Amino acid sequence: MNANIADLVDSRTGRQSRAIYSDEAIYRQELERIFGRCWLFLVHTSQIPSPGDYFRTFMGEDDVIVIRQKDGSIKAFLNSCTHRGNRICRADRGNARAFTCNYHGWSFAPDGALAGVPLENEAYFGELDRSKFGLIPVTKVAEYKGLVFGCWDANSPSLEDYLGDAKFFLDVWLDAMPGGSALLGETQKMVLGTNWKLPVENVCGDGYHLGWAHAGAMSAVQSMDLTGLSVGNSGVDLDGGLSVAGMNGHMVLSALDGVSGYAFYPDPKPILEYLEVNRQTVIERLGEVRGKQVWGAQVNITIFPNLQLLPGLNWFRVYHPKGAGQIEQWTWAMVENDMPEAVKAQILENQCLTFGLAGLFDNDDGDNLAACTEQSRGWRTAQMDVYTNMALGRSGKREGFPGDIAAGLVSEHNQRYFYRRWQEHMMAQNWDEVPIYNINSLADQEAEHA
Amino acid sequence: MLDRPVASLPVEVIIAVTQALHREARLLDDEDFEGWIAMLCDDVSYRMELKSRRFRADRSPPLPVGPGVIFNENLARLKLRVDRLKSGFVWAEDPPNFIRRAVSNVEVLASQAENDVHVYSVLVMHRNRIDGTTRLLTAGRTDRWRSEGSCWLLASRDIVLDHSVMPDSNLNAFF
Repeated sequence: MNANIADLVDSRTGRQSRAIYSDEAIYRQELERIFGRCWLFLVHTSQIPSPGDYFRTFMGEDDVIVIRQKDGSIKAFLNSCTHRGNRICRADRGNARAFTCNYHGWSFAPDGALAGVPLENEAYFGELDRSKFGLIPVTKVAEYKGLVFGCWDANSPSLEDYLGDAKFFLDVWLDAMPGGSALLGETQKMVLGTNWKLPVENVCGDGYHLGWAHAGAMSAVQSMDLTGLSVGNSGVDLDGGLSVAGMNGHMVLSALDGVSGYAFYPDPKPILEYLEVNRQTVIERLGEVRGKQVWGAQVNITIFPNLQLLPGLNWFRVYHPKGAGQIEQWTWAMVENDMPEAVKAQILENQCLTFGLAGLFDNDDGDNLAACTEQSRGWRTAQMDVYTNMALGRSGKREGFPGDIAAGLVSEHNQRYFYRRWQEHMMAQNWDEVPIYNINSLADQEAEHA
Repeated sequence: MLDRPVASLPVEVIIAVTQALHREARLLDDEDFEGWIAMLCDDVSYRMELKSRRFRADRSPPLPVGPGVIFNENLARLKLRVDRLKSGFVWAEDPPNFIRRAVSNVEVLASQAENDVHVYSVLVMHRNRIDGTTRLLTAGRTDRWRSEGSCWLLASRDIVLDHSVMPDSNLNAFF
């Protein structure tokens, strides 16, 4: 398979075989080598604030329950009874003292311990060693400033190292203000008939599609009242942004105007006020570049493999694969805890209306991604390639930013790095064989200045 | 008997409101959006909230700032959605999709206000899009309709979508 994987992607020229979107064997290998190996987003701490609070999610196709413990720590377990494998929790979220399997009534405590077995003495003659049948824990669970991730691979780098220089951009949401961050609302869940890589690719670097795929929404929102906003809302700013990649598979698109995230708000005034009042605080916390230019701007952050968050537009999303040709897309609104309640409410509402289940913008993407998937399934199309070869070789370093950077938001620079990372993982037998790189790392830049 | 109307409604009102629901469904099926907008009150409220699947005994508190919405529209926002659909740039709707709404389980109940009725109904929406892709969406609706002159106009609609995971790649459709 490895020889084959080497041929499937050429990130130097920007070429991918369409087989990577449809081939079942490749998909099974992704579940092992990408979803079974990488740190995957599980939950935001704000979603399970109290002991006993739990949230159900997926790691690849594995159903997982994430539970806040009595001591405030967070544990995650496979949502599967250790007796016959049944799902032990069918709720999306909630608070529980125990999880009882519907099949034979085995009951598990929030710390995963097998707490109750019906007819334990009568049927098992007291011979069942309960300590061997606790819920299966996710190998590693770690938090970065409110974002909780899980990882199945004991040999993975630490979460901090895994995130690497992407933290520079994550902090623009997570650590801009002292109160930290939160996710709001119920989970906005949608089934899409697409391979999981296509929506990741779409958001990680594809500024190219905005003007055309979303032309209907763009033309409609031109009628919105955009008083006080210094950026246009009808087109794409080709020059004023960055495509940042080369950070262990994480990618960022960032405008640099400090306000454009709010371009699609019908009434951006309360949020622009919040930005203005707190701008100095953020500059003190994060420095001039991030405080002035990035905080408030449209920023697309992709954490490899399947997490995307857009501070500014304020949506946060994971893609759960459901076979080679299907995903569930889960979205929430993201806010800063220091925002006034009215601003939070406005963000929740506007996120739902622009990038929610009936989102004016979001509803343009699904069919395109599904059709790209379908057009890789034919006898002929599965042998063909597709291309991300825009603006090849036009990238470099930029003082004060990590990564290999291409100017502007319209480029296929980030997508090439995404597929490069995909290929690196798919070819590696284990973490020792996965290259680690933070191009032009912040640590190196600091050392140079020292 | 909690649901007993405060006053019995003339059968003519029940027929007129029921006919308005059917007419509304036909206008939307035909993409006659102007005709549909004309059936809405100026202060119309059109909402669909997000839900989650929870255990019956679950006692976790309501989410801060609420569950979020799929639709939360006033007349201007509905017109904005219509503008988008009519822009000629919504590629998912061209060629037009085959879409058919069936309205059922209609109950028309009197309300406190004289020119106002409460209406419960069920909407079944059949969408055939992109070759053989067919989706059946169902929703419960709780409406208020108001009589203005000789017409019944929609004053508010709360929609409950019966899908915890939305089974289609867009909701470019009104319920």
